[in-house]
Amino acid sequence: MSDTQAIQAEAGPAPLHGLLAEYDNPTALVRAAKKVRDAGYAHWDTFTPFPIHGIERAMGIRMTRLPWLVFVAALIGLANGVLLQFLTNAWDYKWLVSGKPFWSWPANVPIAFEMTILYSAFAALGGMLIFNNLPLPAHPLDLKERFARVTDDRFFLLIEARDGKFDEVDTRRLLESTEPLLLDEVLEDRVTSDKIPRALIYTLIVAGAASLVPFAAFTAARARHSEKPRIHAIWDMDFQPKFKAQRANPLFDDNRAMRKPVAGTVATGALRDDDHMYRGRVGDAWATTYPAGVQVTEETLRVGRDKYNVFCAPCHGFAGEGDGMVHKRAETLGQGWVPPSNLHQEYLRLQPVGELFNSITNGVRNMPAYGPQIEPDDRWAIVMYVRALQRSRASGLGDLSEAERSGLK
Amino acid sequence: MAQPKHKKDMVADSGHAGDYVDDSIRLGDEANGLFRIAAGIGVVGIVLAVVLGGGLTHQQFQHSYLTAFMWGLSIGAGALWWVTLQHLVGARWSVAVRRVGELLAHSLVLMALLSLPVVVPMLLGNDSLYRWVSHEYMASEHVLEGKAGYLNVSFFAVRCVIYFGFWALMARYFLKASVAQDKSGDTSLTARMGRASPLTMIGFALTLTFCAVDFLMSLDAIWFSTIFGVYYFSGCVLAVHSAMVLALIWLQRKGHLVRSVTVEHYHDLGKMMFAFTAFWTYIAFSQFMLIWYANIPEETHWYHMRLEGAWWPATLALAILHFPVPFFGLMSRQIKRNKTTLALGAVYLLVIHWYDMYWLVAPNLHKEPVFHAADFAAWVGVGGLIVAFVVWKARSVNLLPTKDPRLQRSLAFENV
Repeated sequence: MSDTQAIQAEAGPAPLHGLLAEYDNPTALVRAAKKVRDAGYAHWDTFTPFPIHGIERAMGIRMTRLPWLVFVAALIGLANGVLLQFLTNAWDYKWLVSGKPFWSWPANVPIAFEMTILYSAFAALGGMLIFNNLPLPAHPLDLKERFARVTDDRFFLLIEARDGKFDEVDTRRLLESTEPLLLDEVLEDRVTSDKIPRALIYTLIVAGAASLVPFAAFTAARARHSEKPRIHAIWDMDFQPKFKAQRANPLFDDNRAMRKPVAGTVATGALRDDDHMYRGRVGDAWATTYPAGVQVTEETLRVGRDKYNVFCAPCHGFAGEGDGMVHKRAETLGQGWVPPSNLHQEYLRLQPVGELFNSITNGVRNMPAYGPQIEPDDRWAIVMYVRALQRSRASGLGDLSEAERSGLK
Repeated sequence: MAQPKHKKDMVADSGHAGDYVDDSIRLGDEANGLFRIAAGIGVVGIVLAVVLGGGLTHQQFQHSYLTAFMWGLSIGAGALWWVTLQHLVGARWSVAVRRVGELLAHSLVLMALLSLPVVVPMLLGNDSLYRWVSHEYMASEHVLEGKAGYLNVSFFAVRCVIYFGFWALMARYFLKASVAQDKSGDTSLTARMGRASPLTMIGFALTLTFCAVDFLMSLDAIWFSTIFGVYYFSGCVLAVHSAMVLALIWLQRKGHLVRSVTVEHYHDLGKMMFAFTAFWTYIAFSQFMLIWYANIPEETHWYHMRLEGAWWPATLALAILHFPVPFFGLMSRQIKRNKTTLALGAVYLLVIHWYDMYWLVAPNLHKEPVFHAADFAAWVGVGGLIVAFVVWKARSVNLLPTKDPRLQRSLAFENV
C-alpha cells in the first residue's frame, strides 16, 4: 500500500474523486442516505459490511430491470432448446427412436427446460455484472486505508465529484449535517487503471474463437466425403461384447443370437383359449351363435360395416354381390380370375356364423386369410354385417311388424 | 453435546424474548359466527353429497367424497410438513405466521375422522371405490396376485391407523409445545421441537407417499408410478400456502395480527405458491414423460384413459390451468405483495388443486368428465368442516407464538 502511495505522490496532486463520510452504525448511515437522496444527488453510493434492509429505499434506488432481462433470455433459451431438437431430430438427421414420431413434444421438454434455465442463469449473472458496472479492477477508495474497515465494522457514504450537484462547500456541509465520525476527501487514483487488463480481454477473445474450431471442423467434415475409416473415439462403446438381434451366435447349437421363448409362451393379452371367440367353433361344430364377448348391437353393426367396406368390399362389392372394383378390373384385363363369391348365394346364407368367421380368419379358395389383419371382435362384427346384408336381400313379409304390414296394404 | 451453545444462540437471537406484542392475538366473537356458518355448511354439504351421490356406499358419493377428502387432507398434511420444515431449518421469517400453520396442521385430527366414510365401507367389503377390495377382481389379473399381500383391506386399515395416528400425534405435539411456550416462555421448547423435526420429516415423507399410493393410486390397482407420492405432496404444499394466505387475510380483516404480519410475510408465502406451481409441473411432467417414453402397457393405460377421447380436453385444461396460468399469474413481485391479488391467487390455486384431485379420481368412475352435484357438495362440506374445526381450536389459543425466541426476528423480517 505504501509503495502505491509513494507512486501516487510522485505523480503529483490528483483531482478530487469525491467526499467520503464514515459512520459506526447502520442507522446513522440510513439516515444520512435519506438526506443525500433528498438533496437530489445521482452519483453516490453507500458501503457496508453486511446487507442492510431498507437501504435501497433510503437511497432511492429503483427496482432492478434484471428480471425482464432474465425473462427475455429464458424465452430465447426455450425457443433455442426447441429449435435445436427440431433441427437435429425432425429435420436434418431423422432417427427413429423406439417407434416414436420424429418430432414429439414430450421428448423435447427436458432439454428445452434446461436451456431455459441455462440462458436465465447466464442472463442473471451477466446482467447483474453489467448493471453494476462490474468487474471493476480498481477504485479510488482502495487507496484509503480506513476504508478497509468497511468489511468489518464501519459504514461509508461516498458522493462523487462528477455529480452535477457536487460542490465542495455545499456537499461538505450536507455530509457534516449527517454527523459522520469522519469526513474525508478521496482523490483519484492516477496510477492503477480501472480498466480490465487488455491481456485478459485478448485472451478471452482468442479462447472464444478457439472454442468455435471444433464446430467448424464438424461442419467441414459434414460437407466433405472421406475414404478413410471412421474414427472410433470410444472403443468399448463402438465394439460391445454382445450379440445383437437377428445375428449369428456360435455359442448356441442353432446359431441364433435371439433365444426362442419357452414352448407355450403367450404374450400379455394374447391368450386365445376361447374356441368360440377365436376359431368360431363350439365343440366339434361351427358356432351358430355369436360369442359372449360380442354384443349384437347397432354399434357393432356399424363397426362391421366400416370394416367390411375397407377389407371386403374391394372384391365382394359394397352390397356383397361379388362385384367389387378389383373384380371389375380383373374382368376387363381378362387374364383368368376366379370371381369372388356372391354373398347372397343360398349356401352362404345358410352357413353357420362360425364358418363365416373361419373363412374370414383363414381364407377360403383363393381368398387370403384376414385373421392377421383384423382383430377378432372386428371379424365378428363383419360376420354380423354380412348376415345383415344377406337378410336385406332375402327378407319376407314375416320380417315386418304388424303395423308396417298393414301400412303396405 | 452442543446443546448449551445452541441455547445461548437462541437467546442471542431473540434479543427481546418474551416482549409484549402490541397486537390483537386472540379471536373474538367473530370466530363464533364463522364457526357456526362453517360447521353448518360443512354438515349440510356432506349430507347433500350423500343424498345426491346416491347413498354412503354408492360409487358416485364415494368418488366425490374421496376427491374432496384428498383435497382437504392436502391442506392439513401440507401444514404439518410446513411447520416441521420451519423447525427443521430454524426459520425466523415464519414465526409470526407459524401458529396459523400449526392450527391448520391440527385439522389432521379431523381428517382422521373424515377418512372413515372411505375406510369403513371398504372394511365391510364394499368395492365401489377400490376394485381390489373384491377377491374376484384380485383373482382376475395375474399381476394383482402379486400385490395381494399389500392391497387388502386389513393391511389398508392398519396403514390408515399409522398415517393418521402419526400425523395427528405430530400436529398436536407441535401445536401444544408452541402454545405451552406462550405461557412459560421456555426457550428449550424451541430446541426440543427442532430436535423432533428431522424424524418427523422422514416419517412424513414415508406416510404421505404411502397414503397417496393407498388412497389415490390404488384406485387403479394395476397402475403404478413411483413418483406419485411426490405428485400429491406438491399439491399439499400449494394448498397449505394458499390456505395460510387466506386465513391470515381473514384474521387481519377482523383486526388480528395487523401489526405482526406484514406484506413481507405474504410475499414469502406467495413465493412458495409460485415456486410450487413449477414444482408440481416438474413432477407431473416427470411422471408423464417416463411413462410415455417407456411405453409399457400396464403403465400407459392410466394416461391413455386421460389422454384419449373425452378426457383429453379435461387433461389439457388441467395442464394449462395448473401451470402457465398460475405461474405467470404469480410471477410478478407486485402481485405477491398485494393482498387482494394474492388472495385471488390463493383461491385460484385451491380450486385448481381440487380439479387436480378430481382428475386423479373421477376417470376411475366416468368415461367422460362429468361434474356431479355430489362432487361440489362433498367439496364444500369437507372445506366447511375443516374451517369450523380449525376456528374451534383457534379460539382457545394465541394467534402468535408470543414467546418464541425468534419472534422479534420475524416481526422485523424484510425481503430485500
